[in-house]
Amino acid sequence: MNLKKVLTPDAVWIDLKADSKQEIIELMVDRLVAAGKVQDRDTVLTAVLEREAKMSTGMQNGVAIPHGKTDAVQSLVVAVGICKTGVKFDSMDGSPCTLFIMTLSPVKRSGPHIQFLAEISRLISQPAEREKLLAAKTSGEMYEILIRK
Amino acid sequence: MQDVQLAATSAIHHAGEAASHAAESSGHSITHMMMHLILQLAVIIICAKIGGYLFQRFLKMPSVLGELASGMLIGPYALGGMINIPNLGLLFAEQQGFAASAELYGIATLASIILLFLAGLETDLAAFLRYSIVGSFVGLGGLIAAFAFGDLCAVYWPGNGIDSFMDPAALFLGVISVATSVGITARILAEKRKMASPEGVTILAGAVFDDVFGIVTLAIVMGMAKVSMSGGVVNWGEIGLIAAKAIGFFVVVTSLGLIFARKITAAIKKFKSTEIIVAICFGLSLLLAGLAEMAGLAMIIGAYIMGLALSRTDLAHEIEHHLEGVYNILVPIFFCVMGMMVDFSVMKPVLAFGAVYSILAIFSKVVGCGLPAYLMKFNMRGSLRIGLGMLPRGEVALIVAGIGLASGIIDQGIFGVSIMMTVITTMLAPPLLVKSFDGGSGLRKEMDDMGGEIETIEMEFPSRDITEFLVNRFVRALQNEEFFVHHLHTDKPTYRVLKDDIAFTLMQDGKKLIINVPNANQHVARMMLLEELLSLTDLLESTKQMKNVDEMGSDLMSGMFA
Repeated sequence: MNLKKVLTPDAVWIDLKADSKQEIIELMVDRLVAAGKVQDRDTVLTAVLEREAKMSTGMQNGVAIPHGKTDAVQSLVVAVGICKTGVKFDSMDGSPCTLFIMTLSPVKRSGPHIQFLAEISRLISQPAEREKLLAAKTSGEMYEILIRK
Repeated sequence: MQDVQLAATSAIHHAGEAASHAAESSGHSITHMMMHLILQLAVIIICAKIGGYLFQRFLKMPSVLGELASGMLIGPYALGGMINIPNLGLLFAEQQGFAASAELYGIATLASIILLFLAGLETDLAAFLRYSIVGSFVGLGGLIAAFAFGDLCAVYWPGNGIDSFMDPAALFLGVISVATSVGITARILAEKRKMASPEGVTILAGAVFDDVFGIVTLAIVMGMAKVSMSGGVVNWGEIGLIAAKAIGFFVVVTSLGLIFARKITAAIKKFKSTEIIVAICFGLSLLLAGLAEMAGLAMIIGAYIMGLALSRTDLAHEIEHHLEGVYNILVPIFFCVMGMMVDFSVMKPVLAFGAVYSILAIFSKVVGCGLPAYLMKFNMRGSLRIGLGMLPRGEVALIVAGIGLASGIIDQGIFGVSIMMTVITTMLAPPLLVKSFDGGSGLRKEMDDMGGEIETIEMEFPSRDITEFLVNRFVRALQNEEFFVHHLHTDKPTYRVLKDDIAFTLMQDGKKLIINVPNANQHVARMMLLEELLSLTDLLESTKQMKNVDEMGSDLMSGMFA
């Protein structure tokens, strides 16, 4: 799957700034609202935070995958963001997270959700690709790296 | 050899005529005949089941081989021909050159229809369409090679009276060596945890193609053999016509079946009783089997198509489940009867031919399936594994050989040769396949970097029940995400999970849940399993809100003897 199918340039941000898990998730949801991809901000936010409360989605090597299932979205919504200063995210290896991949999908209906996760995890599991993403200077440049394959 | 052919051709007719004549002439005779049949069935069922068990338990071989061996042992050419029952005569006697009476052969035919109906029902048509490229090349390669070598082996073998590629007997020897019986391979792949490996995925996809193409090839060959048997000359124009008719029948009936399956099942469902629904579906498969035979094809083709058509409806699982009991009793009868037909005295002159035919059957699948695999993305090791995985022949080869014998197209010698090939390939495949999986990756170097290495995710839970519960939930979650989840008939509950280029296996081994997944897909498997684990935690949390269990218990007890 080409990430281009689900990822649009207005949902790739290089300039996220936040100090906590709550803040970064709120910021990403707000930006999705601003991009017109999410209407019901509060429901979406609750879904993501509820999932986060069960177990942190902070993985290793500074990657976090906050996500939620909610009928406030009609189809898969994805966003990728970088917060260069790092955010404490209760991640598995204890290190702060810098790369955030957010997915929102409807509760019942399945879609390209799994292919998206498969594709993006394949990309960011390669250290060289992660470095490239973090070194990107603009959101446009980062988007290009993401959709290149 | 031709004499034997003629004798075999008329055997069924004679036996049928004899039956009706006997029934007409005296009321006692039919009771007498049925008594004989019932005693035969009793011996067959008991011996076949015990034979199957012994082979599986002590020789670690598929039970089919044990059932075949029991048949050889109790058949008219061995013990059966020596046991004399008072007032009935021999337990199993040869009747006009045919080892089974018409009524016994009728039951075996019914078993073969059930077998193919269920095979069609279990076909993963969606995966078949999705994995068509790799699967079709591997399946088609094996089919062409096996057919050509099987047919040519008969043509070039001196002194058997077969001298043309188009000779019906040669065509049958070709088609007998085509159908792979992937059940044995699937079991080994599951045991070796290699089902999710690129080789495993390719073998299983190839086998589906092999089944479908095999049935179409059989349809064409049956058509050609019938023209040729009735004295007609089969020229290329005719072959084209027969092939078009066979493929047309397959495609049209399967498409109609798939299109209307849901409507038909919706109509049948109005009966509201699963037993009635399942019985009607089985009746429909018999109907299509009969129609296929009327159209000049074979009955099993119709049965397979009906199964295929129903495989995508929600009834598939119910039908499988309900027919399981019938299958377990009738299908061993079929294999046992096939074993009974092996006449050892006519086998001696054809032993050398049988050995060469069997070697070619091995060679043709290894090369025919291995070569396309090698040309795509596998190295020599991987291609060999795929070739060996497609090696075992089984049920379909036996059914086709049975049809050939009953219709007089092949004689008992060639029938014995077919059984010999089936037994040899089935026995050789497991050890060779296990050995071939020693060593490294089967992918070419450049492909291997793309994450072909298999990773094992293992989790142990406090009890089997919890593991089973989680496996079932995980399967449902995967289905909701539009994965194809295919349940494999192995000792331990094993599922093959597919979606686009994601493939992995899920297995329950006692308290353990085991996932074998190529490195490239491991993230997805892990993430989805994590979500299920979390939902299990939610569920456990919610049970705490339940009323105190002691209290609920005493509520129940208090009403008991009030």
